[in-house]
Amino acid sequence: MTPTKTLLDYSYYPGCSLHASAKEYDISTRSLFRALRIGLHEVPDWLCCGATPAHNVDELLSLSLCGKNLALADKVNGDLAVSCAACFSRLKTTQHKLTTSDSRRVQVERAIDGPVPLGKPVKHLLEILAKDYGLEQLAGAVQKPLAGLKVACYYGCLLTRPPEVPELDDCEAPTIMERVITAAGAEVVDWSHRLECCGANFTLSRPGVVLKLTGDILASAKRAGADCFMVACPLCHGNLDIRQQEIEETTGEHFGLPAFYLTQLLGLACGVSPVRLGLDSMIVDPKPLLRSKGLM
Amino acid sequence: MSRIGVFVCHCGENISRTVDVEAVARAAAALPGVAHACDYKYMCSDPGQNLLKKAVAEHKLDGVVVAACSPRMHEKTFRAAVKAAGMNPFLCEMANIREHCSWVHEDRAAATAKAKDIVRMLVERVKHDKRLAPITVPVTKRALVIGGGIAGIQAALDIADCGHEVLLVERDPSIGGHMAQLSETFPTLDCSQCIMTPKMVDVANHPQIRLLTYSEIERVEGYIGNFSVTIRKKARSVIETKCTGCGVCMSKCPQKKIPNSFDCNLGTRPAIYVPFPQAVPNIPVIDRDNCTYFKSGKCGVCQKVCGPGAVDYTQQDELITEAVGAVVVATGFDLYDIGPKPAGSPIEGYGEFGYGTIPDVIDGMTFERLASASGPTGGKIVRPSDGQEPKQVVFIQCVGSRAREKGISYCSKICCMYTAKHTMLYHHKVHDGQAYVFFMDARTPGKSYDEFWRRAIEEEEAVYIRGMVSRLYQKGEKIVVMGSDVHVGVQVEIEADLVVLATAVQPRSGADTLAQKLGISYDNYHFYSEAHAKLRPVECATAGIYLAGACQGAKDIPDTVSQASAAAAKVMTLFSKDQLERDPVVARVNERFCVGCLACKKVCPYGAVEEKEIRDRQGNLVKVVAAVNPGVCGGCGTCQATCPSKSVELDGYTDEQIMAMIDTL
Repeated sequence: MTPTKTLLDYSYYPGCSLHASAKEYDISTRSLFRALRIGLHEVPDWLCCGATPAHNVDELLSLSLCGKNLALADKVNGDLAVSCAACFSRLKTTQHKLTTSDSRRVQVERAIDGPVPLGKPVKHLLEILAKDYGLEQLAGAVQKPLAGLKVACYYGCLLTRPPEVPELDDCEAPTIMERVITAAGAEVVDWSHRLECCGANFTLSRPGVVLKLTGDILASAKRAGADCFMVACPLCHGNLDIRQQEIEETTGEHFGLPAFYLTQLLGLACGVSPVRLGLDSMIVDPKPLLRSKGLM
Repeated sequence: MSRIGVFVCHCGENISRTVDVEAVARAAAALPGVAHACDYKYMCSDPGQNLLKKAVAEHKLDGVVVAACSPRMHEKTFRAAVKAAGMNPFLCEMANIREHCSWVHEDRAAATAKAKDIVRMLVERVKHDKRLAPITVPVTKRALVIGGGIAGIQAALDIADCGHEVLLVERDPSIGGHMAQLSETFPTLDCSQCIMTPKMVDVANHPQIRLLTYSEIERVEGYIGNFSVTIRKKARSVIETKCTGCGVCMSKCPQKKIPNSFDCNLGTRPAIYVPFPQAVPNIPVIDRDNCTYFKSGKCGVCQKVCGPGAVDYTQQDELITEAVGAVVVATGFDLYDIGPKPAGSPIEGYGEFGYGTIPDVIDGMTFERLASASGPTGGKIVRPSDGQEPKQVVFIQCVGSRAREKGISYCSKICCMYTAKHTMLYHHKVHDGQAYVFFMDARTPGKSYDEFWRRAIEEEEAVYIRGMVSRLYQKGEKIVVMGSDVHVGVQVEIEADLVVLATAVQPRSGADTLAQKLGISYDNYHFYSEAHAKLRPVECATAGIYLAGACQGAKDIPDTVSQASAAAAKVMTLFSKDQLERDPVVARVNERFCVGCLACKKVCPYGAVEEKEIRDRQGNLVKVVAAVNPGVCGGCGTCQATCPSKSVELDGYTDEQIMAMIDTL
């Protein structure tokens, strides 16, 4: 189903995770945006952003991968919409570094054999929903308010940091996720670990670190009385969702906190059918919670 | 033909690194009217000045150009030197080839060419210089001190002890400032009140000091030796001459729940109050915003109970104008607010520390009030939230300071020392308690300071952890402090009962507005700027205005007192003469050409232009012209640029001189 007329149009960079382990983030993003009549036009032939490994190994490689992606995205109309926190961070970092250093820009342009256009705004989905689409319009699009659902908004460590790069919200005390989800009628909890690191990709190499860090996050959200998480990063999602049972076994504390992508929760609120939101892919089953709140 | 001498300075390597000074001297020697040109390593040094004096006599010079630094730096020096050689000092000019040339260019050939141009212009200007005589103005031997903290008190006492009258103006109802709020002081742990309050009493009793509390500076006019200051005496609602300070009004006031800002809002006070029991003057003031009478017209209890009939609800703000010869600015500091980021402020808040939402996260001044014997808890250290004695206290240094990403890059200087003091005060009062300190560096460069800090660790058992804190959050009754220990390379988590933030020192709110009234400059943070960072640290660039204390930069008590005494000494130097010599660079009106349009009067920022009537011998009015009061004229030249008939000119900067300089380019 294609909407008759879109209100806003964006070029769209899904990133590798959204084509693999975080497929439900991609599915729910597309479904939600269709429901809101926001056009998403996937950048053809996009490359991996390089994520953490590339910039740890070779800065030029990392900047060049994103430089190439910016060049590809420039051929598609509309500001560049990005859903993954890491892709967003890498693309914004590249824009920032190449804007502030001519010598780096020249190196990258030599590497990708062409100019890097730096003018196109790179926007996280949250920014698009909160600022471009607007909270009022978003509230107007809500068909099934998430009343009674207590959400712990989890930013992770990357979404707002470092402050000069994402420029999304206050770096240490952001409220953009809370503003978006309360527009959909949910209740948000005030909790301590909104911006702590989950351990990210150490989940493969040093799982012990992740079990401790993610465990603290789960315990903090539980303590604050949350029903579930709302996240905006595939890696955070992976740790909170996939590792949850293991952490419960280690600590003996039961959490039972489903971790939703923001697009899944907003999709539910905006009347998108649950089958189009990829809820089945979640390890911690959200259905009992959603049923108990009358949302499913 | 003129006989001008040109002296080119190397300024060590400051100029010679980029400018070929010998080539500049050679080019100058070839200019028409130049009788002598040479270069020297340091013209401002004694041999350099002797070289200049000798050349004046030897070559019978009638003008001198010193090609060196800015005239702001050394014009006085060289004019004094030529004067000593018997020349009129105003025939000596500076060609600025340092700030305007060598410091801002890299290309040696181009910089040398520019230096030659600058010298050539100044040679043309000197040719048209006139022999000017200094202007003398009277000095009002009466000083204004703004701010009644320890800086203002010390400056006022020193000046007054020298026999000069002092006007001490304080914004709050009492003098004392921050020092009156402190518990004990480093590095000797003597009680702040015990050393402060006697000085406050001295101020009140001094026959040469006139104290104006609850007053603010409204307007400042005039110039060195002759300022006219308008002061707003805010309505106290209590007649100062009648009040005996008995305190009945305060005890009877039914409104008693107003947070006491002197106690960092830990305690409460009535609507009619003195900020603290040792206040000077011991005269209450009515807080009209919170007084039931002023809000609803009902009550009036304080007036009824006042024996001497001192309470006056009809009192109005009063504007008084005073003549003073010198001003000492001692407005002090505020602590960085740990609350949410204020609107429009370039300084970021501390969201990660709870934005001031966790009640047991307090700042250093609040801890001072908790530890003070005259504080709201009588000196018992307790948690603000529940009144319990904290057993684990975490102190965090550099909150705001040295945090460029938060908007402040400077070190606040006092925090390392007062945090060490806090750990000691805590240890003395809570024997089984443990103090932890997170710090970046410990900066203790004062007399007996490092010994004091070592004592906190070695004898008073404070645990110092090198590293910063990333987040504070409430967990039940505890505050979880998440930090790092960079020496061991581990993350640290401490469950604290109380967290004390050593927040950055900032200038007082409104420092910028006061600076604009005084016409003095300030830096990005609104600290007032001294005339020279090293050699004129207590004087403003604006003559006759001096700085004392933390308004110029973060300072501890010993440094503040030293600077205050230094500022007082500068005032006394000024007052040691009956007449003051001023540079005669002032505007002069050519009365023959002036048509009396008085456009100059409208634009003069100093109010120096007056109307003057020209009359013939019979007393008939011929015309009205503009006249410049040379005592008031600031020499800015605005009138010269404005005058449509070209009949007002600035001595030393006449049109003829400017045109000659342009012509030679």
